[in-house]
Amino acid sequence: MSLVSMTATADQAAVERPASNARIARFLRPALGLLLPVALAVGWELAVRLGWSNGRLVPPPSVIFNTFVELARSGELQQHALATIWRVIWGFVFGVLAGTILGAITGYSALSHRLVDPTLQALRSIPSIAWVPLFILWFGIFEASKITLIAVGVFFPVYLGVMGAVMSVDRKIVEVGRVFRLSGPAMVRRILLPAVMPAYVISLRAGLGLGWMFVVAAEFLGASTGLGFLLIDGQQLGKPAQIVAAIVAFAILGKTTDWLIARVAAPFLRWEDRFARA
Amino acid sequence: MLVLDRVGKTYPNGVRALDGISTEVAPGEILVIIGGSGCGKSTMLRAISGLDTPTQGKVVLDGIVIAAPHEEIGIIFQEPRLLPWLRVADNVGFGLENRPREERNTRVARALERVGLAEKARVWPRELSGGQAQRVAILRALVPRPRVLLLDEPFSALDAFTRADLQDHLLDLWADLKPTLVMVTHDVEEAIVLADRIMVMRPRPGRIYEEIACDLPRPRDRQSAAFDFVKRRVLAALDRSLDRLAITIDTETKATQGGGMWW
Repeated sequence: MSLVSMTATADQAAVERPASNARIARFLRPALGLLLPVALAVGWELAVRLGWSNGRLVPPPSVIFNTFVELARSGELQQHALATIWRVIWGFVFGVLAGTILGAITGYSALSHRLVDPTLQALRSIPSIAWVPLFILWFGIFEASKITLIAVGVFFPVYLGVMGAVMSVDRKIVEVGRVFRLSGPAMVRRILLPAVMPAYVISLRAGLGLGWMFVVAAEFLGASTGLGFLLIDGQQLGKPAQIVAAIVAFAILGKTTDWLIARVAAPFLRWEDRFARA
Repeated sequence: MLVLDRVGKTYPNGVRALDGISTEVAPGEILVIIGGSGCGKSTMLRAISGLDTPTQGKVVLDGIVIAAPHEEIGIIFQEPRLLPWLRVADNVGFGLENRPREERNTRVARALERVGLAEKARVWPRELSGGQAQRVAILRALVPRPRVLLLDEPFSALDAFTRADLQDHLLDLWADLKPTLVMVTHDVEEAIVLADRIMVMRPRPGRIYEEIACDLPRPRDRQSAAFDFVKRRVLAALDRSLDRLAITIDTETKATQGGGMWW
């Protein structure tokens, strides 16, 4: 083999190797995050199978999976999940509506900020679960009190996010709108709305996270349906596998809905100059 | 005709930024305002644009008192201030929202082509260089065809090559419809390359100190003796405006060593 062709093949190899390595790395890197939970699950499964533990209080993955499948097959899981999703949706809708409107008003007008914001900040410092007895007195023990509690949880991150975003819109960009003589509604549509969009999406995601948190609290306090009820039921009847199955259902639902918001918002945020792109 | 009639601006804290500015700018004239920092150059520009209202006197464009932004007055800021959520073409067409879509598209496309940015039409502003972004900002202001274009140190953040390039683009675009240009700058050479008239201002409070006509034939050669002559006059006026001694030798060294930048 001549020297020329040798160097050529060596160069080719040098070029190709990093490329294929990069391709493998792209698949492997997310998988790294799975390493720990999978190892723990397999370890625990083995520990129970080998008789090192009876697995009664901490059921092994196979038992949890079976419980999950059984609950799904009997339709119980869907029924409870639907009840929970329904509550979260309504609580989210009301919380987002109130948070967006009040956040926009207090962010836009200094007077209403001075009038309203201190009260809301005071209310925010109350642990929201503390409202439960009052909500039950006011709205009864059925859906209304639960949805109200969730809405309260969703409200504050959305309110704070929208208010902060509106207040921090760049004066220089607003001036561009003034130079082109935009009317009030046009200024909102063409300048303010797009400018607050990134912060708004983040606050929606934070609000939804709290919504999922509060639905559990709401369902702990007297419910006959819902994933929160499954948790309590599992505790009272000594069925840890059912508890873990419900927790897994919460994890799946929370992650899915968060992904949905991010997905729906993505086309509106493509212009963002972000450090990391999803 | 753009008329400034004893325009003054006193800020609420009592600072007098601008005092008794009276001048007339003819249609198609290029007026460049130059002066030390704090002499009210930008304040004056903002008063003409209608973004700020003067506390004394008035700005009149063709018989209409300017008290708010006017459709015949465009402005270009020091930063491009492009809207990051609009693609380049939509930024350029921002002021044409109420025109038919086809007209808007053709005017935007033609404008982008003029400054060599046709292939950047569908790109986000974040993907542009500083000079490209400022070119887009110039187009955004010019595409609605204003009668007056105001420029507030538009090229000061750019490197020397890009700056000269953009000055050429600006003159080229100006030649189309010949709007009145009022430009604020720190850069003496830039002033002489562009101006029909150079207005030297002095600070505390901002007043007109001296006006220097600049009628060199275009395109102007920065190396020519006539250019240098005007440059010395402007530098001397600037020095005097700050109550410094106008020593010819002093300005001469500044002109050769300082590259014409006057701060």
